[in-house]
Amino acid sequence: MSQKSLHLRLGIVASLFALFLMFYAIPNYVFAPSNVRNIILSPKFWPYVLAGFTAFIGLALLFNAVTSATDTPFEDEETGHPEGSAPWMRLGALGAIMLLVMFGLPLLGMVWTAMLAFAACAFLFRTRHPVAAVVCAVVVPLLLYAFFAHVAGVAIPQGEFVRLP
Amino acid sequence: MKLRTLGSALALGVGLIAGTAMAEYPERPINMIIPYGAGGATDISARTIAEALGTAAGKPLIMANVTGAGGATGSVAVQNAKPDGYTMLFARVGSHSVNPAMKATLPYTLDDFRFVTVYEINPVACAVRPDSGIESMDDLVAKVAEGGVSYSSSGVGSLLHLAGAMVLKEFGVEDPLNAATHIPQKGGGEAATAVLNGTVTFICTNTSALANFVANNQLKPILVTTEEPVVGFDAPTANDLGKPRLNALVGWTGIAGPAGLPDDVSAKWGDWIVEAAQDAKFSDTMASMGSVIDVMSPEEAIDFINGQYAVFKALVDELGMRIEG
Amino acid sequence: MSLMDSLAAGFALVGNIEAFLMLFIGLVVGVIAGAIPGLSATMAVALTLPFTFAMTPINAILLLLGVYKGGIFGGSIPAILIKTPGTPASSATILDGHPMAERGEAGRALGMALYASCTADAVSNLALILFAGWLASFALNFGPPEFFALILFSLTIIAGVSGESLLRGALSALAGLLLATIGLDLVYGTNRFTLGNPNMMGGLNFIAVLIGLFAIPEIISMAWNPVAHLGKTRALGKSRCSWADYKNSFKSIIRGSMIGVFLGSIPGIGAAPAAFLSYSEARRTSKNQANFGKGEIEGVAASESGNNGVAGATLIPLLALGVPGDVITAIIIGAFMVHGLQPGPMMFILNVDIIYGLFIGLIVSSVFLLIVGSVAIRGFRFVADVPKRILMPGVLILCIYGVFAVNNNIFDVGVMFVMGWVGYIMMRNRIPAAPFLIAFILGPLLEDNFRQAMLMSGSDPIILFRGPITWFFWFLTCLTVFAITRSTLRKRVPLS
Repeated sequence: MSQKSLHLRLGIVASLFALFLMFYAIPNYVFAPSNVRNIILSPKFWPYVLAGFTAFIGLALLFNAVTSATDTPFEDEETGHPEGSAPWMRLGALGAIMLLVMFGLPLLGMVWTAMLAFAACAFLFRTRHPVAAVVCAVVVPLLLYAFFAHVAGVAIPQGEFVRLP
Repeated sequence: MKLRTLGSALALGVGLIAGTAMAEYPERPINMIIPYGAGGATDISARTIAEALGTAAGKPLIMANVTGAGGATGSVAVQNAKPDGYTMLFARVGSHSVNPAMKATLPYTLDDFRFVTVYEINPVACAVRPDSGIESMDDLVAKVAEGGVSYSSSGVGSLLHLAGAMVLKEFGVEDPLNAATHIPQKGGGEAATAVLNGTVTFICTNTSALANFVANNQLKPILVTTEEPVVGFDAPTANDLGKPRLNALVGWTGIAGPAGLPDDVSAKWGDWIVEAAQDAKFSDTMASMGSVIDVMSPEEAIDFINGQYAVFKALVDELGMRIEG
Repeated sequence: MSLMDSLAAGFALVGNIEAFLMLFIGLVVGVIAGAIPGLSATMAVALTLPFTFAMTPINAILLLLGVYKGGIFGGSIPAILIKTPGTPASSATILDGHPMAERGEAGRALGMALYASCTADAVSNLALILFAGWLASFALNFGPPEFFALILFSLTIIAGVSGESLLRGALSALAGLLLATIGLDLVYGTNRFTLGNPNMMGGLNFIAVLIGLFAIPEIISMAWNPVAHLGKTRALGKSRCSWADYKNSFKSIIRGSMIGVFLGSIPGIGAAPAAFLSYSEARRTSKNQANFGKGEIEGVAASESGNNGVAGATLIPLLALGVPGDVITAIIIGAFMVHGLQPGPMMFILNVDIIYGLFIGLIVSSVFLLIVGSVAIRGFRFVADVPKRILMPGVLILCIYGVFAVNNNIFDVGVMFVMGWVGYIMMRNRIPAAPFLIAFILGPLLEDNFRQAMLMSGSDPIILFRGPITWFFWFLTCLTVFAITRSTLRKRVPLS
């Protein structure tokens, strides 16, 4: 990708986001009391200022993209991934792991969720040391639990099923 | 090999649950949520009593600070917890009487909690800079009439916010919201600093937050709201000045569980707190922080909090301070 | 009482093994806690506090100060090794420290972090001892208008950490400013972008955003291409920080220390902005400017001296005025009060022995930090040798535990994950993360102080120019903006 096309893309996204803020998000999700004495004290003032700046930067990016003559790609750009669609699958899988962690934390407790997440990630990354990975997956969360719960006195979530001392 | 390691880990886990057979409450450590930051007045109070309480309960208490939104984040965590007595809250005046009185948007009400005790009362004092030319409440009120008076607080819906308005109102200022400017700060420390550096004229807050400034003659107290004088604060009490209604304006720390807390758990807490309050270390620390130990039974605590809430709510409605939206 | 008498009284207090032992233990605890992401210096101090109730005041306070100072240095260890800042203050250290570790120079980066920290610590302590009274009375002149001007100036740091494009840096900063508006409004207490969720009312947790933005994208990159790191030399750095390295960075270290002392003595700024300001100043004046952000050792030196310079200086408002400069000193004030001491001007008269005892302890702490730090570096360097595809899941788990521990809230773990994806998208689009972070810290300060100033003056903007301090910062801001504009037009910092 070249700087020109990157800035074109970012410029469009920033401008659209600024419009979204100004006409939807701020009116609907920022609440201001009816008795605000001065407009600059309103809770909405600063978000509108920021939305304005976002629009400005978005336009500047667009302007920059349109006026820049050169269209040379970045030097350190990754050109075509050798594995085709596999990286996208892995990104999706990692996202799924994170989502499952969020559900697992209150249900299973932090230690068991962390063990599963560790193992899943290590295999997702196709580690060359599967045995070490499994051992670490069991030991690391337990050690962290021992430290956080018993040394630092943090109430680590325990979950519904198996409770650690 | 992989499977075997996993299997043995699971077996270990199953062995662990087997150990916890049904027994009398508490059969495991109790999570105590402190809805304010580490090192604050609530935190110090909670952590000092925790050890003695743990001894009385027979199981340790695990302290967890869940801060944010003036105590609301931590309070919601307890509101939504299972009412089994293993998640309890150190409630404070800000989170459980000022906030419910002032904020329509608060995600909880007093009915979502069952109080088991209030164990500590903090007097409130009002103070100004010694070089401000204000010597008494009368001077302050006279100055309000001239205009340009402001007061600081640790945020909207904090005790300090309400206290500033309430004190002025009691001393005859008709419309304290417009006669004096409220300048909120990010926390209690910042609120006191704002008086020191002249950003605001006065502050009304817990005596513990002002003690070191008063001892160092950096701030001059002009009022304490309790019936009795406060040690180290050379200022008239609300009763001396004929304003006994201000006696309701005090800070407190108590312990609450979710609304569905069983009766036997509540009764147990009532016993433990009486025992814990005898602890010498606890009373020494509380005294050095300027607090008064006043252990209330569950019933007394509920009456006390509802009484204070009613006073605050009436004031908020009268002045139109309620926050909607 | 003369200075000599005071010193003698101070020595009498700390002249026992126990006081120094407490200081030493404090530093060890602090370095370890700082090195664990999420378990910040603040938490370590808070957790140590209950242990100090039974001690004599001087031992208690030396222990807490040890934890504080150790924690600020300890944060740089994971920042360099696994791109996860242990404390917010060490986020600037990532910018150059982590690229150095990737190059196999972890040892050199850690060494420089330690030497810069100790030097800055010593400078900061000296400033406290010599200028406490003067700096404190100066700091009291900072009301909302002065803060507003100072923070406006600090925002110009963004230009210094934007990397290859100022426009993309500004975009990143705006995203940070917008995200920081989530939560309850300061003046009216109304909801802003909270979507009705009570967990959002307190605003997004800073540590969760920080770790999400820096550490998680590394893990996501690993999923994108698990073999990208192979073939690069990452083996542990046997490399060490040489005397020549130290000498070359000395100017930046001293400048960073001064910046730290200045910002530390003003309550309410904290160590992270000091580190970034020191970094951007070092970058601006260095002859290796082009190498900054790619693993320049001077960058590590500047950021670490900036944040450690704050550590001693935050005690200036604490001791001289009784005003806490940040959350950590607020906890330490609690420790004073539990022991019946009232920090403030009177303490220099009533408890002068304790004050001088503290001073002596502080001077010793710089030396102790050097010892504890050297041992810690040796202990932690092995992290660089762990196979990366096992290290990364470990980092993920560590982040989950750490972010939870900050506020005991599972919601924060979710914030961290979401910010991780935001950070990854930014990385893929060549948007730098540092401006985002600076804006996230400074944005609320800017807005709050602006509105407080407007409340003070009844919405009259003239108050923003009310005295020499504001004029000074307005002048600096204009000067910097002018310099940035000029160099951009000359294409030295390419706009495009």
